Amino acid sequence: MDKGEILKTVNDIFIDVLDDENVVLTYETTANDVEEWDSLNHIQLVVAIEKQFGIRFTSQEIRSWNNIGELIGSISNRIN
Amino acid sequence: MEQPLNYIYQKIETLNPIHGKKLKKNIVFFDARYYELANSFFVKYINILHLNNKTLDYAIDCYLQMIADVNSETVEFLRTGKYSSSTFAEVNQRVYARPETMEYYMHGLIMSQFLWKHHYQMLQYFTDTLPRYMGTTKSYLEVGVGHGLYLSKALEIMDIGTRLTAVDISETSIAMTKSFINDSRINYHLKDIFEFDNHQKYDFITLGEVLEHVEDPLKLLQKLNTLLSDDGVLFFTTPTNAPAIDHIYLFNTVGEIQDIIKAAGFDIEAELSLLSEDVSPERAAKFKIAILYGAFLKKNKSAS
Repeated sequence: MDKGEILKTVNDIFIDVLDDENVVLTYETTANDVEEWDSLNHIQLVVAIEKQFGIRFTSQEIRSWNNIGELIGSISNRIN
Repeated sequence: MEQPLNYIYQKIETLNPIHGKKLKKNIVFFDARYYELANSFFVKYINILHLNNKTLDYAIDCYLQMIADVNSETVEFLRTGKYSSSTFAEVNQRVYARPETMEYYMHGLIMSQFLWKHHYQMLQYFTDTLPRYMGTTKSYLEVGVGHGLYLSKALEIMDIGTRLTAVDISETSIAMTKSFINDSRINYHLKDIFEFDNHQKYDFITLGEVLEHVEDPLKLLQKLNTLLSDDGVLFFTTPTNAPAIDHIYLFNTVGEIQDIIKAAGFDIEAELSLLSEDVSPERAAKFKIAILYGAFLKKNKSAS
């Protein structure tokens, strides 16, 4: 799966978890850009992404991403 | 002096922006009464911190440490559908027997009483309802006083002649409660509630967020039933789906809590369920969002 496809899948997960159809993610998107992306939703997003891709992040990874691009990078490393 | 609440929210936003964002969503719902109560509480709390050579910044760090713990526990909970510990021995070793963990955890919990909407709303429910039982309460017992906030409110509300008793298994909790409340009307007992029996019945018992810390919550409610006078009232709170480093009993739904209330021989006089997030009940169930449940109970006299 290429990064573009991962981004699209992650975008769908954000729409579902944040209950906001208007979320449009780019590699540069940060929590500051998405109103509903707070600390609790961050956890919900992480676990939903893990389930979707059949992977498990480390606690260090969960705290480390600065933007969506870095999150996509982590996912891509695990599945490819 | 700057209002403590403004300082706290700003500091949290600086140290942990993504959590600061979550707290800001909650404060939209608070009214003038909240600001008055919370600021006056924090002024008192800051004085106690200073007496112990600590600062508000220290308490904010404790709160954020607790949040980090809750976040890790939540990730595991959402992955597995279970709390990470299930026995008292485990959490005793991990939390209660470690003074340094108890210390930051207690301060974190105190802060959460006014930073988490559902904690504040439950405290308000308690303080608004308790005066109804003022006239009939000669003896008052709180089990698991934690940081003493509920006990301090009972002391303010209850008649001057009411005798108050506090039982807690943790020395740290009792020490913290004593630093908040210096009143000769309260008798403290450092004891496991299952071993507590001073041959007395109580007209009012409070059990705030304790059931999730025990292996057999039904047994605890049954024990309290034996300590309650015939027309006495038990107020208790407990959450569903609320992972934390020392939570061992998981209630998946409010219905499961109501079932053990009945099984322990109680009837519900009044109850309140507070969602910890501002979401629909359907989304709360889907994402296992915590609900804080509180109820005033009376003995079911037809129960055998």
